[in-house]
Amino acid sequence: MNHSMKNQLLSLFTEIQIDIKKDNEMIINAAKNAIIGILSFCKSKGYEHLALVSCVDWIEQKKFELVYILSPYPEQEPEFSKKEKTNIILKTRIDREQPEIVSVINIFKNAEPYEREIHELFGINFNGHPRLTPLFLERTYKIPPFRKNFDTREYVKKVFDEIPFIDKKEASK
Amino acid sequence: MDRNQISKWIKSPVKMGHKYSLHAVYFCTGCGIIEIPPSITARWDAERFGVIPVATSRQANLFLITGYVSLKTLKAIIRTYEQMAEPKFTVGFGSCPINGGMYWDSYNTIKHLDKYIPVDGWIAGCMPRPEAIFVAVTHLWTLIDREMADGYKRYRKNYKFYRSNQEKLYGKLEWPPLFQKDGAK
Repeated sequence: MNHSMKNQLLSLFTEIQIDIKKDNEMIINAAKNAIIGILSFCKSKGYEHLALVSCVDWIEQKKFELVYILSPYPEQEPEFSKKEKTNIILKTRIDREQPEIVSVINIFKNAEPYEREIHELFGINFNGHPRLTPLFLERTYKIPPFRKNFDTREYVKKVFDEIPFIDKKEASK
Repeated sequence: MDRNQISKWIKSPVKMGHKYSLHAVYFCTGCGIIEIPPSITARWDAERFGVIPVATSRQANLFLITGYVSLKTLKAIIRTYEQMAEPKFTVGFGSCPINGGMYWDSYNTIKHLDKYIPVDGWIAGCMPRPEAIFVAVTHLWTLIDREMADGYKRYRKNYKFYRSNQEKLYGKLEWPPLFQKDGAK
């Protein structure tokens, strides 16, 4: 099934590169504009579960890589036995200076918290996302903390180490 | 009852009552909470030492901080601590509340818990065994006996200091100050 799908994808989309390294895993590298088309195509082929949206910071190449992992629900995939779970991994690279990408909420609703998290921790803007409000963090950071150029040690020295200890003997007098 | 302690019971029954009925607030912080279910249930049975978990902070007087404290958790910890009735005792469990532990350079984990709320004792280790909780409880008995477990008094006396430390992290806090001035009765 993977090979027939590979051929279909190659015929439908340009600027796409597909690797099948394992039997149950297909890795698609695509351009930023093509991801909506590829995701909706995969969804129509039974890959209805968006398992994860993740992000990788390639600081030397000045790129962010977004990773979408899709898998089908076994009942809906009669060709495969239930033991075998096939995954589609879609990767796309975006510019690091002005990180912007279109949101995939219209196709997969459960992408919302993942995109909020990535927006908060990497500072990527998702166009079309209804609320990119803080999710986990309590403080505001100049550089989003999961970027590679965020110096955690310096941050700890500046924020947490500056807060004074209380002198116990003085305090309990 | 231990006959040697009868004089203590007569001398200060309230203190002995505090000592032998520690109600621990069941507050899950970090990974250390995994040691709490075996220590309160049949395997180690914390009730032998008079420690019993309770549902809300209003009923509790022992606060175990079991593991790393993120900024969001610290907010909940401060609110829980302020809701507890006095006398209240705090014990930091594991190496993360002591000095950050393996999260020593994390951007979102506080490093020293005793900068924000008073802590009466520490259990070092990553993870401490459940037996260590009971060692800590027996130490806490000694501290209560000698009136050295005075964290809640320190909090009253130096409330402004603690509050200013908390505000340094969060900016403005969402709840009003617990005491209006230092040393309020």
